Amino acid sequence: MNAALPVLILLSSLVPAGVTFFLAQDSHTLRNTLNLGGAVVKLGLIIWMLFAVAGGASYEASLPLAPGLVMLLRVDALALLFISLSATLWFLTTIYAIAYFGTKAELSRFFGFFSLCVAATTGLALSGSLISFFIFFELLTLSTWPLVAHKQDKPSLSAARVYLAYALPGSAALLWAIIWLESATGPVLFTEPPDLSALDPGALRGIFALFIIGVGVKAALVPLHGWLPADMAAPAPVSALLHAVAVVKAGAFGVVRVIYDVFGASNVAALGVGEPLAILASVTIVWGSVRALQQDEIKKRLAFSTVSQVSYIVLGAALASPLAMIGGLVHLIHQGLMKITMFFCAGIYDERAGVRKITELNGMGARMPWTSVCFSLGAMGMIGLPPLAGFVSKFYLGLGGLEAGAPWVLGVLVASTLLNAAYFLPLLYRLWFLPAAEDARGDERAPALVVPAVVTATAALGVGLLAASPISPLGWATLIVAREYGP
Amino acid sequence: MSAFYQGSLVPLAVLVWPLLVGLVPVVPRWRARAVRVLPLAPLPALGFAMAGAPGELFLPDLMLGVHLAAVPGATLFLAMTALVWTVAGWHAALTLRAGPQAGIFAGFWCLTLAGNLGVFLAGDVVTFYLAFAAVSLAAWFLVVHDRTAKALAAGRLYITLAVLGEAALLVGLMIGAAAADDLRISSVREALSDAPMGQLGLAALVVGFGIKAGMVPLHLWLPVAHPAAPVPGSAVLSGAIVKAGLIGMVLFLPQLSGWQDVLIVLGLVGGFGAALWGLTQRNPKAVLAYSPVSQMGLLLVLVGTGSGGVAYYALHHGLAKGALFLGVGVLIAAATRQQRRAVLVVAGIVALSVAGLPPAGGALAKLAAKDGLPAVLVLALTLSGVTTTLVLGWFLVRLAQLEARPEPRHLWRGLFAGCMVLAALALVLPWVLWEQASALPLHYPLRSVNLLAGFWPVLLGIGCVALVCWRNPPALQPGDMLALLPERGMVVGPKQGAEGRLRRGATARYRRMALRALLRSRRADIPLQPWPRAGLVLFAGALALAALIGRPG
Repeated sequence: MNAALPVLILLSSLVPAGVTFFLAQDSHTLRNTLNLGGAVVKLGLIIWMLFAVAGGASYEASLPLAPGLVMLLRVDALALLFISLSATLWFLTTIYAIAYFGTKAELSRFFGFFSLCVAATTGLALSGSLISFFIFFELLTLSTWPLVAHKQDKPSLSAARVYLAYALPGSAALLWAIIWLESATGPVLFTEPPDLSALDPGALRGIFALFIIGVGVKAALVPLHGWLPADMAAPAPVSALLHAVAVVKAGAFGVVRVIYDVFGASNVAALGVGEPLAILASVTIVWGSVRALQQDEIKKRLAFSTVSQVSYIVLGAALASPLAMIGGLVHLIHQGLMKITMFFCAGIYDERAGVRKITELNGMGARMPWTSVCFSLGAMGMIGLPPLAGFVSKFYLGLGGLEAGAPWVLGVLVASTLLNAAYFLPLLYRLWFLPAAEDARGDERAPALVVPAVVTATAALGVGLLAASPISPLGWATLIVAREYGP
Repeated sequence: MSAFYQGSLVPLAVLVWPLLVGLVPVVPRWRARAVRVLPLAPLPALGFAMAGAPGELFLPDLMLGVHLAAVPGATLFLAMTALVWTVAGWHAALTLRAGPQAGIFAGFWCLTLAGNLGVFLAGDVVTFYLAFAAVSLAAWFLVVHDRTAKALAAGRLYITLAVLGEAALLVGLMIGAAAADDLRISSVREALSDAPMGQLGLAALVVGFGIKAGMVPLHLWLPVAHPAAPVPGSAVLSGAIVKAGLIGMVLFLPQLSGWQDVLIVLGLVGGFGAALWGLTQRNPKAVLAYSPVSQMGLLLVLVGTGSGGVAYYALHHGLAKGALFLGVGVLIAAATRQQRRAVLVVAGIVALSVAGLPPAGGALAKLAAKDGLPAVLVLALTLSGVTTTLVLGWFLVRLAQLEARPEPRHLWRGLFAGCMVLAALALVLPWVLWEQASALPLHYPLRSVNLLAGFWPVLLGIGCVALVCWRNPPALQPGDMLALLPERGMVVGPKQGAEGRLRRGATARYRRMALRALLRSRRADIPLQPWPRAGLVLFAGALALAALIGRPG
């Protein structure tokens, strides 16, 4: 059973993916049942495992791919943090996507690749070795492309091209790094840190840089972030799940794995590469916010905000002090909840009211109160107002920065807070305070679109409000840091 | 899992009740008339204060571990806050026009109130920060309620300073919490004095609290926001909300940290400067807005000296300032000459109390504050009676010339009664609490030397008012130093230019060039066939890598 569980979790999205491709376009019921069923099964399995792993259990499965190449799936606390997020949000996004697309064209293709993406994300989280990590990382890259291009119009196709243009060199860099490292150390398993003594520091720094370039493209580190705002041509559910959660988080998760399980925090410190990475993350945080300020399209602004916020995770990992680490890991969840809420809402505004530009948001609060309340909660969380989730991450990151002897982090956090306020508060002001345009339309009689947003917004509030309880994401992140990276 | 809470739930109930009242406008049917329940929101807090603010509460699971306990002087602060909010709520219930805007006002009124009460009950820094954020940011809705261009401009200034203050506060609290390795306010204060970055942390805290407390030169929002806000909003802003910044200073600044001197100096500048600057205003609410800056300056002096009379002085000031601001509203509503005269008399008496004329409550507040102060500061406090009389006298002069928008008689009576209650409390409550608040005997305020020290500054001040009325002072825009900031046009133009350059800038151009080069090789015509292309790139990449790694190294 211990070996079967990780495989089962992977299959719970892989099987729906495989079957969905062969369904006819108009077999809506079957397709929806299959996708929702897979999501529910996965969620159940993960909840079961959460309790077991909290009690100290661990699960592992290895599948030989080729001689010397073993795909290792392993459930540890860090992997669970990521897959519980992606499974929950996948479930909600599936509901949202079913309602969003209705009976539009090419749905079997969409949902097939959608499930494939989630399978890739799951596999990535469960990977116990570098090579399995790489396989799923690539699967994610390639299965995302059709989703971005889904509308098949000119902007979508060009966005998809931009995505590949960024992603493929990133993958090449990652592969290079893996081959370079493993040629000296042999296969790298995340449970046993590799013996790095065979490589001189210069080479190690080079490998580290290649790793960061490889995963940094997905994590949208400046200057590798250009694809993310361009990808906003994709349909709303894609932006919600992939650009708020799966893809960018895969990159951030990769950074965490590379720092803690491939190199080890002490080696990163000894090589002196942690601080440059932290500075790069800080630059990304500030630059993403500055660019967000200049956007007049809602989704573009959200995209640049994602660029900025995902680097909180990278910053936490790079600072490598326990509190910063907790702050970074917990932001993996917190940012996911807040940003998916905002993308859901942006999609609702677009779909139900045809609103895409910030200037068109005027007076939408009265017209679409549930959506607007959720959007406001997400925005206030991003600014870092207590008791929302964003405050908790920010507080821990700040304490962690001081703990790591990097007080400049406070400056970055303050700049980020002020910039977030500067680009989100005017939106809220428009939503609630300015009169609606004469020809404004729109309603929220679409429960399957609104309820997922309400659920994630409530969760973003709940995880902040109950942060100190042991079952919160913060509690789980603390457990990870104490158990796996603790002194 | 540990118990969900330890201790008494009463402090939590005091804070949750206003939030529940704040939910009334969420129900569409009740929204339009939601302001009518506002006087109910602070009542549990009032009872709690009268019972002596008993009980502590620890909620280990909530946020980062919520600790609720009465701060030093909490009973006085809570009583004052609850009273001002109750009467101002009463005023709002009678005057605000029913409608959806009133619903928004009511909801955020209650949120602001909960935050205002919360800062006096917070035992840990995160709870304090939450309460402070609530009182700071939600109060924006009280400022902009009228939605006029003036109100919105005032709101912009207010929210900018409030967000800056929040950010500064967060820096200070994080430095303190990191040094203390604990979130309790007492540990953070101790740790701040010799933490590695403690001075920066303290500076940030002084800025954060100073903005809220109207400390010169961070007071800019007060004279702009007060005339713009509706009358009950001004009353709570200047009476109760500014005290959130004050209690922050009291709670977080360690004794003898060097920042006390800063507070004393800035407090004195504000105490005298703001009062004099008030003379350049014509709108009585703007004149009156400079009075809290001046009075808060004196309070900051007291905080700086570590005087025990802070809460007692703040109690009187809050009640009196609430009464004066509501008085403006009552006067506007007055229909007859008689009614106007009654309001002016009440406002005059309260003003004399604030100036420290014995035997009113304000004189007691000053006496209690002077106890134990160095002689220079005692003199300063006595002299402040002159400037206070001057600015409040000028306020009364301007008030008397205010045009009325008469309201029905029964309504006016209700408003007047509210104003009277606060005025009476301001005059009497200090007497009731004298023995509790000061170690001195009850007849101490009636000693001739103390009576004299109360009388002459007021008389001198009245003389000055006559002088001012004779030679009208220049009329200036409210917001004094705002004039020093660059004009909007001067900022916007260059900013847009820079943004345009950024947008068209080098990064975007190079990125486009690189992309074009990458994509020029072959553009797929059939959109869903990326595989060969992807494979090709990967293969080429892998070949290149293999060649690089193949070298011995």
